[in-house]
Amino acid sequence: MRNYSWIAAILYLLLFTLSITFFQKQHTSISVEDHGHLLPVKMKTIKSSKSEDDLKEIILTANKENEKISNAGMQYSQGGQTLYPNGILLDMKQYNRILDLDTKNKMITVQSGVTWDDIQSYINPYGLALRVSQSQNIFTVGGSLSVNIHGRNITYTSLIETVESFRLLNANGEIINVSREENAELFSLVIGGYGLFGVILDVTLYLTDDELYQIRTATLTSDQYSDYFKEEVLDNEQVQMHLARLSVAPDSFLKEMYTTDYYLADDQTRLSDYSKLKRESFVAIPKFFLGISRLNEQGKNVLWETQTAYNKELDGVYISRNNVMRSESDFMIYEHNQKTEVLQEYFVPVDDFPSYVDDLRELLEKEEINLLNITVRYVKKDEEAMMAYAKEDMFALVLLINQKMTEKDLAHTEKVIQQMVDITLEYNGSYYLPYYHFPTREQLVRAYPRTEEFFAMKDKYDPEHRFLNLFYEEYHK
Amino acid sequence: MTYHKFIVYQGVVGMASSMIFPFYILLLNNVGRSYAQFGWAYGLFALTAALSYPLIGKLADRVGDKTLLVLYSWGMAVLLLLFPLAYEVWHVYILQVAMGLLGALQKNSEKTVLARSVQKETAGKEIGNYHTWTSIAAAAAVIGTGYLVDFLTIGSIFYLASIAFAWSGIFIMKQKEWEKAPV
Repeated sequence: MRNYSWIAAILYLLLFTLSITFFQKQHTSISVEDHGHLLPVKMKTIKSSKSEDDLKEIILTANKENEKISNAGMQYSQGGQTLYPNGILLDMKQYNRILDLDTKNKMITVQSGVTWDDIQSYINPYGLALRVSQSQNIFTVGGSLSVNIHGRNITYTSLIETVESFRLLNANGEIINVSREENAELFSLVIGGYGLFGVILDVTLYLTDDELYQIRTATLTSDQYSDYFKEEVLDNEQVQMHLARLSVAPDSFLKEMYTTDYYLADDQTRLSDYSKLKRESFVAIPKFFLGISRLNEQGKNVLWETQTAYNKELDGVYISRNNVMRSESDFMIYEHNQKTEVLQEYFVPVDDFPSYVDDLRELLEKEEINLLNITVRYVKKDEEAMMAYAKEDMFALVLLINQKMTEKDLAHTEKVIQQMVDITLEYNGSYYLPYYHFPTREQLVRAYPRTEEFFAMKDKYDPEHRFLNLFYEEYHK
Repeated sequence: MTYHKFIVYQGVVGMASSMIFPFYILLLNNVGRSYAQFGWAYGLFALTAALSYPLIGKLADRVGDKTLLVLYSWGMAVLLLLFPLAYEVWHVYILQVAMGLLGALQKNSEKTVLARSVQKETAGKEIGNYHTWTSIAAAAAVIGTGYLVDFLTIGSIFYLASIAFAWSGIFIMKQKEWEKAPV
């Protein structure tokens, strides 16, 4: 039998490789929960349907029985935007058909439960791509509209810019068309309206061509960044997408940065070599490095060194537009029963970035928080959404904070976050609303000057308050 | 095969199965949508084991314990390669049936080896000693994996456990037949 052990080992290796190959190809689905775990809310029931008539019926019945409804997509928002105690959770994930693709005018109509991933898989063979999506593609279109997301794009930045029209199931159970021409007021309210004005049914989005990009990377300091961005990214028509990362490692804390630009490749005929859509590759390695960075300062130094080295390696690499817009996310999924990871996003005017980062550094060197990552992207002034976070051309800084879920730790994080928001507001900046309600109402009003008008509109369009969530509950008065 | 080597072998397979156990339950929980399905998944496991014991018992005397342990090790090594790929309830049901069969192989062989190798006079001490070391290995594996899961994905834990089973398969194939334990 000893002689057979070699054969067994070789056979096993073969099966092992096969298994890992399939595992990587397989689509991992995301569980249905409030991902922050900070807002455990008991809902009365979860309802969902594939049919427009059923959805209408759900609203009409809720009207009769005076039930509250919270609209939900993937539920990645952390501020209770999809939750309301004892309410009906209207889960839109099954309302997910692709209705029409107009390749000539480059437009697509989809039901709101469709994910970016679904759209990408559908349009990639036609050589088309999304204009705007988050860096990851796991979110639904309806959810993304409700928080008016932005991504790495620099030509179109806020999602609202790429929406042609949508149909809305309102609080009376009526279906109305909403566009820049028809019910225009609702267009600016529903997009970035956190699900408070009705159920988004189907959406028509403008698409663009899939393109071949080449990656250009650079390492610089935070005080060089604004100039770099204006000269090398904004003024360079070839550059289509951009992101940067700010160091949170103790050795280079909020000083060192690296940038990743995606510019149009010279030879677009080679697009077909790169247009196959990427699947999530093996997540163990990034997960491992993120894991050690959670532990201590040393881990953060190791992660930063690895990230900068990896980014340098990317220089010159070719990638299709569709593939840039489907970054990996599984490695970030964090399960811990005492700790959670909260996100914050701050917007500051482009020119103020260096001094803003200096102020943040001064604060964060005093206050202990376990900051794991800061990503920087760009948003243009948004003149359409009533709750527009981009009040002028701004940088958006996304902060990932690891923390314990005890009251003491939450109170500490709240204090630090309120101070960070204050600093942001001093630069006439704003902060993103889908996250946990750490900021005060006063800060909300300063960040979003049209807040009062927004809540007044809620009363106008939904006087019975059929659509409710914890965000509204926290801030409406 | 010496008694010591048997303890090493049982320690390793015990470690590998303890590593996956908590996550294995999570997986069943995720895939099954109701308690009834969860119950079925476990019921199938126990039922297959019950039905296979009579056959395994006879086989053990005919082909020898070593062959059955070789089957167990390699069976587990291959089965664990399938776990990360399971996403439908029926996948889990099939895996549970296979797990039931292999689990029975292990349980039965563990006992037959002990029965055949220990001296009657010192059986208590020897079996106590055996359980001490295999339990330490299992405890270390469970605690260690709790930390590992912060860094690794659940998928990779199944793969690690599979590698441990493969190693145990090679290890046991290389052993000669059994020797009595030293008194």
